[in-house]
Amino acid sequence: MKRQLLASLLFIIVALSASSSDAQEEMKPFGRGSWQEILRAHAGRPTIVHFWGVTCGPCKVELPLLGQFVKEHAAIDVVTISADLVPNLPAAARSMLEKAGLGSAENWIFDDGFVERLRFEIDPAWQGEIPRTVLISRNGDTTTIEGSAEMTDIQKWFDQQSGMARKP
Amino acid sequence: MLRTGRLLGTIAFALWQTVAHAQMHHQHASEAACDEPALRCASKVTPTFAPDGTLWLAWMAGGQVSVASSKDGGQTLSPPVAVTKERLNLDWGPDSRPKIVVDREGRISVAFSIFRDKAFNGQVLYARSIDGGKSFAELKPITASNESQRFEALALDSDGSLFAAWLDKRNRVPAQQDGRKYEGAGLFFASSRDGGATYSESRMAKDNTCECCRLGVAFAGPGRPVVVFRNIFEGSIRDHAVVTFSDLSTPGEIRRVSQDEWQIAACPHHGPSLSVSTAGTYHVTWYTNGKNRKGLFYARSTNAGTTFSEPLPIGRSDRSPSRPFVIAGAHELAMVWKEFDGEKTAVNLMTSPDDGVTWSAPKTVSDTPDTSDHPLLVSDGRRTYLSWMTKAGGYRFQSIENEP
Repeated sequence: MKRQLLASLLFIIVALSASSSDAQEEMKPFGRGSWQEILRAHAGRPTIVHFWGVTCGPCKVELPLLGQFVKEHAAIDVVTISADLVPNLPAAARSMLEKAGLGSAENWIFDDGFVERLRFEIDPAWQGEIPRTVLISRNGDTTTIEGSAEMTDIQKWFDQQSGMARKP
Repeated sequence: MLRTGRLLGTIAFALWQTVAHAQMHHQHASEAACDEPALRCASKVTPTFAPDGTLWLAWMAGGQVSVASSKDGGQTLSPPVAVTKERLNLDWGPDSRPKIVVDREGRISVAFSIFRDKAFNGQVLYARSIDGGKSFAELKPITASNESQRFEALALDSDGSLFAAWLDKRNRVPAQQDGRKYEGAGLFFASSRDGGATYSESRMAKDNTCECCRLGVAFAGPGRPVVVFRNIFEGSIRDHAVVTFSDLSTPGEIRRVSQDEWQIAACPHHGPSLSVSTAGTYHVTWYTNGKNRKGLFYARSTNAGTTFSEPLPIGRSDRSPSRPFVIAGAHELAMVWKEFDGEKTAVNLMTSPDDGVTWSAPKTVSDTPDTSDHPLLVSDGRRTYLSWMTKAGGYRFQSIENEP
């Protein structure tokens, strides 16, 4: 019995460390230069970039709505970036993304204590408030939605992008 | 067997806590230079001058809150004394920091927030020292409420009373149970008339204020605290407001500082700053990203917060100006804020010789190539000093004006 309990204890510890390291692997660390890397990787493709955080109340409401939108629009590129002003665990972010149906999206997490520099590379005017959604069109034009985004607005933008694609 | 099981369960829980805490700590440890309770490892440092002219610092580092004092304007510090007895999950949000005040009898009061669970529910704790900072009493919660509280402010009245204000989520659950939408948090307050040993029952000054920004507190006169906060006005507009108390337990009307029209459902974590000059003028600085204006602003009120001047923009808009702080010193009004040029963060300073009517041109007084705390100003009644914790250069404490 004692051996069984010890085995269970070891299992719990291994499972805990494994789950956390998996989550860390799955969340891409967002550091200096990552923003340009994302822009380059998605160039020419309409892309939704969503900044959010585990401790952000409005994000908790918006994330599942975005997850549903993505489910209905599988063709669109979606990037999430956890930019919580109260930095927290990749595992916590990962868990929320999965619950919101965004587990298979391209998920990043701020990974540099000098967040002013990370934000400055993205948008010098951004002081870090989240949620924040950046819609990047096929030709690289960006539309920034501060605060919670309405999915109807994202749908309109997406329809415009689809229309642009159909034009000769 | 049952005891063995319980023992193993306890060990498993303790290990899980350690793993979880270490992971959580790792995630924000990069804001600090090191991971010990020492000042050089601090992410946040708060200064105050005692009535006898001693400088006191309270800081958070390595999961602990500590204090030290200096008799020579910050050049040398006393050995640090821990306020916390163990490593805690301190609130490490950008607008969180330990608060410290020292009264005429040398009693030191400290307050700060922790995250008390994995859902990031906060709790405001306080402790005091009655032996000149040699030791601190056990930490106590500032309110018996178990709902989330954060963003405490602590201020000393002229008669030695302490005034505390914080943001408190206790009205959220009842509202939701009634099927009502609940926005933000309540602005709650309490006071202590026994030198910080106990605090009065907490009361609310305003419900539905923005839940994630620091508060600014100053006194308009003896017994009349003023609080500036990011309010939520009709239509989810997160603009700033002040409330002036007629005594430590009676809040007055809520007055709007400016019509920025920042309609946003988001957490700015970027709160205001307030100072009241000897002439009674209210000086407020704040950040907004509103429809009417964006960036840092300053405004003054010469009628006890009833109306405010036209907001004055602060800093270079292409350099991400942030974290403004204003103080009415003995000879002039001073304001600092941060600017970032893509490589370095600078602290810029402006001063006003005429109580905020006119301001000097901004000048850079310090900079750093890595992450840093908010710049703070503190006055000993003669001179004003900049207090700034930087990861790369450690703690900096410097006079920003010449002694008269």
